[in-house]
Amino acid sequence: MNAEQNKLLQVQNLKKYFPVSRQLFSSQRRYVKAVDDVSFDVLEGETLGLVGETGCGKTTVARTILQLYRPTSGQVLFDGVDLASLQENDLRKMRSRMQMIFQDPYASLNPRMTVGAIIAAPLDVHTQLNQKEKRERVQELLKLVGLNPDFVNRYPHEFSGGQRQRIGIARALALNPDLVICDEPISSLDVSIQAQVVNLLEELQNRLGLTYIFVAHDLSMVRHISDRMVVMYLGKVMELADRNEIYLHPLHPYTRALMSAVPIPDPDKARNRKRIILKGDIPSPLNPPQGCNFNTRCPIAAERCFQEDPEYREISPNHWVACHFA
Amino acid sequence: MEPLMRISELHTRFHTQDGTVNAVNGISYAMQPGEVLGVVGESGCGKSVHALSILRLIQIPPGEIDAREIWFGGRDLLKLNDGDIRKVRGREIAMVFQDPMSSLNPVYTVGFQISEALMLHKNMNKQQARERALELLNLVGIPEARKRLDNYPHQFSGGMRQRAMIAMALSCEPKLLIADEPTTALDVTIQAQIIELVVRLQQELGMAVMWITHDLGIVAEMAENINVMYAGFIIERGKAHEIYHQTRHPYTLGLLGSLPRIDEAPGTKLISIPGLPPDLIGLPQGCPFFARCAFREERCRLERPVLEEAGSTGHTVACWRWQEIDAETLRKAVGGAQ
Amino acid sequence: MSTQMPEVEVLTDFAVREHRSLWLDAWRRLKASRTAMLGLVVVAVFLLSAVGAHFFWNYNAKTDLDYSSKLLPPNLVSTAEKPGVHIFGTDKLGRDIFTRVVHGGWNSLRVGLVAVSISLIIGCLLGLFAGFFESFDMNLKEKLVLMCGLGLVLGLFPAWIARQWYQTLLFGGLGAASVILEKKLAYVKLRPVMFAAAGALLGGLSGLLLAPLVGLVCAVVGLLIGLLLNKPVNGKAFSSITMRVMDILLSFPSYLLAIAIVAFLGPGLEKGMIAIGVVGIPVYARLARSAVLSVSQKEYVLASQSVGEGHGRILFKHVLPNILSPIIVQATMGLASAILSAAALGFLGLGAIPPEPEWGAMLGDSYKFLSSGAWWAVLFPGLAIVFSVLGFNLLGDGLRDALDPKMRIN
Repeated sequence: MNAEQNKLLQVQNLKKYFPVSRQLFSSQRRYVKAVDDVSFDVLEGETLGLVGETGCGKTTVARTILQLYRPTSGQVLFDGVDLASLQENDLRKMRSRMQMIFQDPYASLNPRMTVGAIIAAPLDVHTQLNQKEKRERVQELLKLVGLNPDFVNRYPHEFSGGQRQRIGIARALALNPDLVICDEPISSLDVSIQAQVVNLLEELQNRLGLTYIFVAHDLSMVRHISDRMVVMYLGKVMELADRNEIYLHPLHPYTRALMSAVPIPDPDKARNRKRIILKGDIPSPLNPPQGCNFNTRCPIAAERCFQEDPEYREISPNHWVACHFA
Repeated sequence: MEPLMRISELHTRFHTQDGTVNAVNGISYAMQPGEVLGVVGESGCGKSVHALSILRLIQIPPGEIDAREIWFGGRDLLKLNDGDIRKVRGREIAMVFQDPMSSLNPVYTVGFQISEALMLHKNMNKQQARERALELLNLVGIPEARKRLDNYPHQFSGGMRQRAMIAMALSCEPKLLIADEPTTALDVTIQAQIIELVVRLQQELGMAVMWITHDLGIVAEMAENINVMYAGFIIERGKAHEIYHQTRHPYTLGLLGSLPRIDEAPGTKLISIPGLPPDLIGLPQGCPFFARCAFREERCRLERPVLEEAGSTGHTVACWRWQEIDAETLRKAVGGAQ
Repeated sequence: MSTQMPEVEVLTDFAVREHRSLWLDAWRRLKASRTAMLGLVVVAVFLLSAVGAHFFWNYNAKTDLDYSSKLLPPNLVSTAEKPGVHIFGTDKLGRDIFTRVVHGGWNSLRVGLVAVSISLIIGCLLGLFAGFFESFDMNLKEKLVLMCGLGLVLGLFPAWIARQWYQTLLFGGLGAASVILEKKLAYVKLRPVMFAAAGALLGGLSGLLLAPLVGLVCAVVGLLIGLLLNKPVNGKAFSSITMRVMDILLSFPSYLLAIAIVAFLGPGLEKGMIAIGVVGIPVYARLARSAVLSVSQKEYVLASQSVGEGHGRILFKHVLPNILSPIIVQATMGLASAILSAAALGFLGLGAIPPEPEWGAMLGDSYKFLSSGAWWAVLFPGLAIVFSVLGFNLLGDGLRDALDPKMRIN
């Protein structure tokens, strides 16, 4: 990480609690702490990977950054402007600079709209282009993501999953955004198609100087595409470091377990490595454990972990971790 | 040794309004008792359909199963009548599916569902069946199993449900367990637990396991033999080591290349296979992988390659040019195209 | 907006499926279904004959009377002893039943169409907004429109009592003020009192112009309205209030409610349309709301939000087109039941006013003659009802299969 690099996005103590519908006759209001005190920076031009299992809050972080969910507290500074405090109209203007690619290419494209109309939607909202200019821009974008520009009048259901995801990428790029949040863009695609999309994303980043936040549950894919990685568990950040640092010196026991659970496509290595198999299941985010979130499954949990929530601290330059024993 | 199962020239087709879908196109292989076989391929490659065809769980019509034989336990499964094939299902060949939520009935307790299978197949009485169900839940590592017997499926987490499904599958001590993407819906740490469980159970009980998956990484650590499937064909088959280290088919190579490796330094570009799998209605005349292959030549378009022995015994490949193919040339070929 | 976009080679030059819009797909499936096409043909025959008869076949119900030929059985050929061709026979006033069945079709189908349009438009709008604002928070402008509208509607009561129609505008203004002042008055404890007083003043003063007693009544009504308008409703409250009102409407037996409405409005075809239309509103409101709720959860709606599209665009470009299919199916089925309801009202003498031909009324007129053997006077209007209802039901069933989203993927 380079100190001169500009911080494009700063997430500071971000919290997002979802109220759970109150039970009859109970005065206590309960919350799902989907994101609980998360902080990290995203540098201009880098790819920050956000990795974690079900219920870790990675998608909520992504959506809260874009203010699709309004944060419960905390700040999201985009180019120095706090998005959380913006009114709807000002926010809408900012939206042209940050876009999102969604997980499910079947659900994220309106089946009743043509590909041209889908990609042109951001142009309709944010620009004053006329019909012809819009059409040209859409065709340019289709070409950019490797689709035939004559597809403008077609409907999403005529395409395969990988092709649809390309349409989603084209929509995200329509306004030349600075930041693109990729929310599990490949997890519903087949392996060989995943590689196509990841290669396309990398190519586009080089060409257009994009900044990515890449959200996924697949640790090896996140490590492949990211410069730095954030490991999340139950709404909190466990560890943040450079992708090589985190692989060579994982400090958090959860990161270590996650790493060892990733399958290796090599029978010799796979059979000889020592795996850390975590016990039990991920606790429900509705009642997370006392103390450290990970204590129910942690192989090295001690007395202290059940009482004190570990502090999220910078243990060596640019390597952050939340564990008492790091 | 007499094989546990021998499939020869299995075809499964579905007759639909738009035409005939050729889901499985003449696959043949044998499994030994106690063998762990990995079946790998992308969606639509016929890996699940072929497993369902073994148990004749395909709806006919629109489906159609056509094979020389599906030999299992001394008889041809295709020749059994409906009552007899039902006895094979669950008792001799058990299956675990991808979605544990929809495979368990939400209105009965987990304990009841397991003991029901036992009472049906093993003629146990209620008490015996309950005791055995408890043993099974302990075997698959469900904590506080006695309490869990009386829980309903929705009280189980995804991983626990899959364990319960495995317990149910094991209830009649099958000779073959078919696991159809059992970990796809689960998180990695839970996936690791399930893999460890199945490997342990396979060694303890000595049953054969067929593990169907799209992920070459998962089967690497447990499978003895691996079938790689594409468009309803087995395009490469061999010992795990051969599949990963002496890969001969360009598709298998491409699949391996498109997986990012956690154990290697990042930075190399992934190899992507361009294009899409062929439409199973009206397959091309030649090699099914022709349109996406970096090594294609005129012969591949016209003639469909058949499995032939490649180098060592038991390693077979369906490719005309297998001798010229390795990872380096593929990387160059793909890199050159881009 | 133009940037340097370098050219890349086109990777995928083909789409997986043929180019067809979803509507075209649905039409193809509809065409493939024989029963649906049968329904369509039946419906088309009825519609064409009714429209054709209304515009090109003069018939005056008021002067059609011929006592000399009353209750004649069907007669296809005119002969010396049986003069006059009446293919469906004649009724008690000697009117040709065929003529009246065909002309009655115009009335019956019109009732069906208008009634369904009333329930469709009002019901869908209510359901659409209820569902939408349950999923998305209302912004200031929308709250303003809603509270202003609410004030206008509620203001109708005192205005009607005092006959001072400008009052509605005053209450509309009160509703708007409630939204504008929401933040400022958020912590003022006396706010409900302030609004109640304002309401009482607005109602009472204009009432006083008429008479002291009217002023008092209007002041009380105004006070209640003021209390209601005191706190601007949010989307969730709007939705739950709307849906509870729909629940209340639904809890009445539908025919009784229709009869009650007609009894209140007075008989007549137009009143029947309104009655049947009002009774149908909750069905569409519920359907639309649940469809909107499920569509709102779709990722493409989230995507449109992230792009920065406003509520109007999301509602009309993303939500509405995707809830149309179940509503179209329901409307087709609704036509059948509206025709039945119209016939029932007609049979009871609450629909068309007597000489006007209408299938239900024709049944009601003639069933007394069934015992004297005049089966034709009952059979043919009855068959017309049966076949038109059957036609719409078959078509609706076919549409359901054709538009079913589950069939869309393979």
